[in-house]
Amino acid sequence: MPSGALLFQSVILGLLLGGLYALLAAGLTLYFGIMRVVMIAHSAFLILAAYLAWWSHARLGVDPLLSMVVTIPLFFGLGVLLQRLLLARLRPVTLTMMSVLLTFAIAVLIEGLLGYAFTGTQRRIQLGYGSASIGLFGARIAVVKLIAFGLAAVALLTLYLLLKRTRFGWALRATIQHPDAARLIGIDTDRIAGFGFGVGLATAAVGGTALALDTTIYPSLHWHWIGPLMAIIVVGGLGSVPGAAVAAMLLGLVQSLLQIPLGTTWAQTVFYLALFATLAFRPQGFFGGRLAQRF
Amino acid sequence: MTSRATRTSRATRGRRATALGAAVALLLAGCGDDGGSGSSDDPIVVGISLPLTGDFSEPGKGVQRGYEAWAKITNDKGGLLGRQVELKILDDQSNADRVVADYEQLIGKDNVDIVVGPFSTRLVVPAARVAEEYGMLFVEPAGAAKEVFTQGFKNLFYAAPAVADDHYNHLAEYLLALPPGQRPTTVAYAAMDDPFAQGTAYGLKAKLEAGGVRTVVDEVYPPNTTDFSTIAAKIAASRADMVVGGSQYQDGVNLIVALQQLRYQPKLAAFSTAPTSPEFAAAIGNKTEGILAPTGYTQKAPYPSNVEFVEKYTAQFGSPPEEDEANAYTTGQVVAAAVTAAGCAEQGECQQKLVDWIRGNKVETVVGPLTWDATGKPQGAHMIQQWVGGQIQIVLPTEAKEVDIVYPKPAW
Amino acid sequence: MPSASDPTRAHRLGGPLRAVAILALAAAVLSFPSWAPNPYILSAGVVVLNYAVLSTSWNFVGGFTGYISLGHGALAGLGGYATGLLVVRAGLPSFVALAAATLLVAAVAVPIGYAALRVRGASFVIVSIALVLILLLVAQSWASLTGGSRGLVVPRPFPGLLRPEHHRIFFYLFAALLALALLVWWLVDRSRFGLGLKAIREDEDKAESLGTPTFAYKLVVFVVSAGFTGLAGGLYALWFGDLDPVFQFSILTGSYLVLMALLGGVRQLFGPLVGALVVGVGLEYFKVEFGNTPLHLAATGLLLALVVLFMPDGVLPAVGALADRFLRPAQSSIREVTAAELREQRDTAPPGADRAADPPTELPVGAVDGRSGKEGP
Repeated sequence: MPSGALLFQSVILGLLLGGLYALLAAGLTLYFGIMRVVMIAHSAFLILAAYLAWWSHARLGVDPLLSMVVTIPLFFGLGVLLQRLLLARLRPVTLTMMSVLLTFAIAVLIEGLLGYAFTGTQRRIQLGYGSASIGLFGARIAVVKLIAFGLAAVALLTLYLLLKRTRFGWALRATIQHPDAARLIGIDTDRIAGFGFGVGLATAAVGGTALALDTTIYPSLHWHWIGPLMAIIVVGGLGSVPGAAVAAMLLGLVQSLLQIPLGTTWAQTVFYLALFATLAFRPQGFFGGRLAQRF
Repeated sequence: MTSRATRTSRATRGRRATALGAAVALLLAGCGDDGGSGSSDDPIVVGISLPLTGDFSEPGKGVQRGYEAWAKITNDKGGLLGRQVELKILDDQSNADRVVADYEQLIGKDNVDIVVGPFSTRLVVPAARVAEEYGMLFVEPAGAAKEVFTQGFKNLFYAAPAVADDHYNHLAEYLLALPPGQRPTTVAYAAMDDPFAQGTAYGLKAKLEAGGVRTVVDEVYPPNTTDFSTIAAKIAASRADMVVGGSQYQDGVNLIVALQQLRYQPKLAAFSTAPTSPEFAAAIGNKTEGILAPTGYTQKAPYPSNVEFVEKYTAQFGSPPEEDEANAYTTGQVVAAAVTAAGCAEQGECQQKLVDWIRGNKVETVVGPLTWDATGKPQGAHMIQQWVGGQIQIVLPTEAKEVDIVYPKPAW
Repeated sequence: MPSASDPTRAHRLGGPLRAVAILALAAAVLSFPSWAPNPYILSAGVVVLNYAVLSTSWNFVGGFTGYISLGHGALAGLGGYATGLLVVRAGLPSFVALAAATLLVAAVAVPIGYAALRVRGASFVIVSIALVLILLLVAQSWASLTGGSRGLVVPRPFPGLLRPEHHRIFFYLFAALLALALLVWWLVDRSRFGLGLKAIREDEDKAESLGTPTFAYKLVVFVVSAGFTGLAGGLYALWFGDLDPVFQFSILTGSYLVLMALLGGVRQLFGPLVGALVVGVGLEYFKVEFGNTPLHLAATGLLLALVVLFMPDGVLPAVGALADRFLRPAQSSIREVTAAELREQRDTAPPGADRAADPPTELPVGAVDGRSGKEGP
């Protein structure tokens, strides 16, 4: 039986990890809401952002957090271009299938280019505060993990406010819920959809920076993220941002706790078990369902 | 490309290929880099597959530098049998499937004269099987795990002093000889699921358990693990007196940082491979004090060929050689000794002569004199190094030590 | 091909001509070991044949139903590991183990297919990717059974054989397996069962309302496809001898298969085979010529993206259609439009899809040229 301290430590680690999952899953959910696209390349962009953060720190000596000044606008632009130039070209009737293939191809392309540019060697940002930590009721929380979680939380909150409180958010929600009606009341749904993709991809920029703070990165790492993320959005109910966030925190926590008895690798299987169970017994997801279209 | 490559399958029988088939074959074969073919003026081509990218690219590049140093030093002295040595190095991306295709290409298509081993134990077994099935001698710098020697290979020799399980022998002896009150009583082990890395940790584990030291954590993680926080949490929660990491490079760094984040302070910390890397200290923020690591090589070893190696290697690459470089160089020395003694270096019957010679003789190398048993296992032991005063120094065995071992280790 | 896949083409290419072409191809494949210039080329030939079998197996699902699986690499890996483990742990003779492993993979495919095919569209692809990742995890973690990251050594079925002979035997075994897979695909293509599957591809709703048991059909063909994939994977394990989880359960393998099939054309019997020849030979060529760089991956991604964007029905069919347009311009006036195409034109785009600028680029050759398919779940 694991000690209370270890359990508490694991709960904290799980929540910190869940925060990052939630942010990334929110991006995936946006894409799906807008276009019924499952964006396989999301986590490849995540790793790309992490590499840019690492690179700017290792080569330019800039703090990795500052790299977001460049990566967030860059990824927003890439997201818009991706939607307008590539995904919008696909035939609507085969869109779901072909968009998965297309974004898969983009993921492979990014992985290959990363491997070419930075080699397959594992990289890690060496920060002065890398091994610093603060105590909390006997548990220890690494400062870098706390920063990463803070980033994710701020980004999620921003996303929420953007969707709920701005005119763009209103237009985006309208586009997601009823595109025809949205067009009728004068919303340029094409433009809005493009921007929506930009916002989704910007979450990958933030997530990548957060990721780079405390983990080793290598080009093929994105496969270890896309699996859990896809499981999260399916369990959460495709298209539901709150559903994805709840599923992310929950699965992150369960994964972290399961690592105590099962070890790191077996614990990861919880995502896939949840995915298979959801599809087999409740394909509409556990937290989305009819709420799927609402924020 | 067909003229010399047809030794194994005479191509004259079925020339009536269709256009498509012929095009395929031409495309596949159209890029022959002709290796040596045994004439006395041709260079001796040594084929190697190395992980220049992927999981093992850091040590892989070290091994590459060692081979390059060996080729240069050998050629500067007139080569082997009056022939120059030429290296043909392919990148296997740390991938077992590629390593097989690489040796297949080196032996079957490029027709190299000699093949030597790749890096990482995981890749040695598949590579050695290719060499074995083509009847080639296979001296290798990195097949340290015991399963390498249980495959029934007859042409394989490991060019290093000791196999992985014996790396910590001196440390185990030292710890078990301590008075019972000072001896660590609990140990936490975390090892990569890799025959070499795990072999080192489990070799020590077996000896300490036999001596009555309790194992409180025993974690195995796959090579692509990036998040060590939970493993570290388990180790920290166990409050073990000693932590042993069966690590390669990055995983060792990650685990140490994760342990430091949790402010875990063991009396002793031993990690394989990672602490001997030149980048190690910077990677963990210079909090290295007291970390132990086994090594099979020291630049200060007095063997004549080592003095020459360190001097010329430093001149060539600007920094002194590490263990990976030395192991590759040792491999070259073993091959060179066999080629010189057998008087030949090409595919075919010559290979058996080389094998027979190595089996029956002792070779002087930069890691000392080496001999092998019937399975190709070397008969020696490793030294133990420790980070003392900001640099890594030999502490065990006592007759080779540079400084005294620091136990318990200071806080990191 | 006297089938519903592509009727016009079948009339164009006369029967005798086809027979000659097939015979020539068979002769080229069968004589390859005797004119392969060295054992390395022969081993590369085995790799290419393995790809051909795998992509043909993939095409049972991809070609007939239009469901795209990225996880067939994992099914092959499972076949490989099952074969290897049955030999190593259960002591079965190599080829008995191979047969048992094939059945096992087919059996495992039933629950996977059940979860994946219940919902249409994206979730099938998600499950297929998840399959690769989960099997990788299991193979790595369950080290006491699989050997974990250290890999699994599969004993040679013909011990004592020199390597070139070993390659030769397996080349013929793979060729036989390829012939079997092609034959079964051809038979399915001509059957009522095949007709039902193609109805699913064209319009799953309509097929269902017309009484086709779509779920059962999809499941059966998925299991058949998995069985062939597992068989090929097991044969590969016997040939190759060293199994490593990272390579056996690789997303990349799956994506190669999709690329091959899409490149050659998923509606053609020989499409995946041709795609495998092009991609497989290309891969080996570039590896020998330029070494092994991550650019392979980039090139694969780029090619796949281009095919998806511009030639989703395959490169060879597109080229064939282009040639057709030049050869018989008169026919293009007699345009047959399918319901699906009409629907597509009529279809108001989902939000964001940039419609108007996308005239139907496909050519008026195939009458039954379904563009319909899956909506999101």
